[in-house]
Amino acid sequence: MMPWVLALLAGMASLVPGVPVAQAPGGARGGQQAAPPAASSLDYEFFKTRVQPIFLKKRPGNARCIVCHETGSPRLQSLSPGATTWDEDQSQKNFAAWLRSVVPGDPMASRLLKHPLAAEAGGDPFHAGGKHWTSQNDPEWQTLVAWVKGAKL
Amino acid sequence: MKTSLGLCAVAATVLTGLTGLLVGGLTLGAQQRTAGLKARVVQTNAAGDNVHVIDPATNKVVGVINDIEVPHGVALAPDGSRIYITDEALSTVDAVDARTLMVTKRVKLSGHPNNLSVTPDGRKIYVGIAQAPGAVDVIDTTTMTNIKSVPVQGAVHNVYVTPDGKYAVSGSVASSVISVIDTKTDTVAWTLKESSGVRPMIFTRNPDGSTKEIFVQLSNYHGIAVVDFSTQKEVKRFELPDIPGREREMDGIQGSPAHGMAITPDNKIFWSTSKYYDYVAAYSLPDFTFIKTVDVGPHPEWLTIPPDGKSLYVSVAGKNTTVVVDNKTMAVVATIPVGQVPKRNGSGMLQTQ
Repeated sequence: MMPWVLALLAGMASLVPGVPVAQAPGGARGGQQAAPPAASSLDYEFFKTRVQPIFLKKRPGNARCIVCHETGSPRLQSLSPGATTWDEDQSQKNFAAWLRSVVPGDPMASRLLKHPLAAEAGGDPFHAGGKHWTSQNDPEWQTLVAWVKGAKL
Repeated sequence: MKTSLGLCAVAATVLTGLTGLLVGGLTLGAQQRTAGLKARVVQTNAAGDNVHVIDPATNKVVGVINDIEVPHGVALAPDGSRIYITDEALSTVDAVDARTLMVTKRVKLSGHPNNLSVTPDGRKIYVGIAQAPGAVDVIDTTTMTNIKSVPVQGAVHNVYVTPDGKYAVSGSVASSVISVIDTKTDTVAWTLKESSGVRPMIFTRNPDGSTKEIFVQLSNYHGIAVVDFSTQKEVKRFELPDIPGREREMDGIQGSPAHGMAITPDNKIFWSTSKYYDYVAAYSLPDFTFIKTVDVGPHPEWLTIPPDGKSLYVSVAGKNTTVVVDNKTMAVVATIPVGQVPKRNGSGMLQTQ
C-alpha cells in the first residue's frame, strides 16, 4: 500500500472517538498561528530514514524501542530474520502506526515525543519503556521534532 | 582452593555443633555451597538492559548483571548457585552464575516470555509464554534444556510453583484463566476462569505445607480475589482502600491497579501494591484485617521479602528505585536507585564467594 494511502487512513482514524490522531492543535491555543501540517503531509521518507533508526538504537542502560513495541502499542513490525532494519512494506506499516502517536506541528502534544522524554525535561510522568532522553536538546529528540513539524527529505 | 574451602566448611560444621548434625546428611559439596550463602534481593529493570543485585544487610547495590535486554521475571536457584531471568529481547531464559553475575547459558523458549518460577528442589523452571495460544515452558535445570511446552488457555503473564512444589500455577491476562499444572506429569490438572485478566498471584499454606489459597490480582480491579485451592473456586474478594482526597493515578497503569503481593515468612502479614495510589497496603493474616498503607512512589510493581522477613522490597517503576519498608515499623527505611523501570524482583540466599 502506498504511503499516502496509509497516511490518509490514519487521517480518517482521527474521526474515530478515542483515537488521538491529527487533532487540530492550534484550535484551543489560538487560531492566529500558522496552520499545522496535516497528518497526511508528514513525510514518509523522513520517517523511514531518520526516525526509524531511533527505534533500533541501543542506548546504554535502556532497552531498544523495538523490543517492547514489536509486541506493544504503537506497534513496530518485527524485523525479518537476519535483517538490521525494516523493508519497504514493514516501514510503511510502521509509518501508519506511528502517525497515530503524533500531533502534526505540535511536538509537545505528541506522545512519541513526550512519553520517552524525562519528566524534568517536560516529558510525561511515566513511560513503561523508560526515559530515553533527558533534554529537549538531544539530537534524536530534535529529529522527532523536525518530523512532527513537517520536515521533508 | 577447593580442598581448603572444604576444610573450612567441615570446620564450620563442627564448630556449629547442632547445626553440623542437622546438615550431616548433606554432601561435602552441599556444605561448601551452604557456607557461602548470603541474602540478596535481585531487581530486574523492565525497560533496561541490566539487573541490580542488592545486599539487604546494607541496602546497597552490590552487583549488576548486564547484557539482558528487557529482563522480565527472576527466580533464584534454591541452592543459591544461579539466578534465572526471562529475557524478552531474545525470548530465552538466561542462567546467571551467582558468583560472577555473568550469563552462562541462554535457553530458547517456545515464544515471548513473561514471568518464571523454579521448583523448591531446583530441578525445573516453569516459564510463562506471553503470546497466543498460550503455554508454560518447562526447563530442566540439570541439562538446561527446554523439555516441554504445556499448552494452556491464553498468553501467560505470570507462573508460580506452589510452595510445596506440587503445582505450577499460570495466569492469563488475555483469557482470564488460571491453569494449575501438576509438576509430576507436567499436564494441566484444573483451570478456573476469572472475571478479568489474571495478574500476580501468591499462595497461603495449610499446616501440612500444602496449598490453601491463591490470592489473585485481576485486571481493572483494585483488590484481591481469594481462590480456595481445594474446592478450586473463588471464595471472596476484598478491595484495597481508597485514599480520601487523593485522585486515582490512571496514566500508565496498564490495566493493573494492583500489581504485586508478598507474605512475610511467618505468614502473619500480607502486603499488596496499589498503582492507583502509589502505596503498599498491609493486612494481618489469616483474618485480612487492614493495618495501614505506606506511600512508596509512583507505579509500585512488585514485592519481595528476603528470608529473614525483616523488610519488604518494593520496585517503584515510576522512580527507577527499589524502596525498602520495615516490616515491624511499616515505614520506608531506604530508597535504592536502580535501572530503567524496575518491575519484578526476587530474593533468597545466593552463593557470593
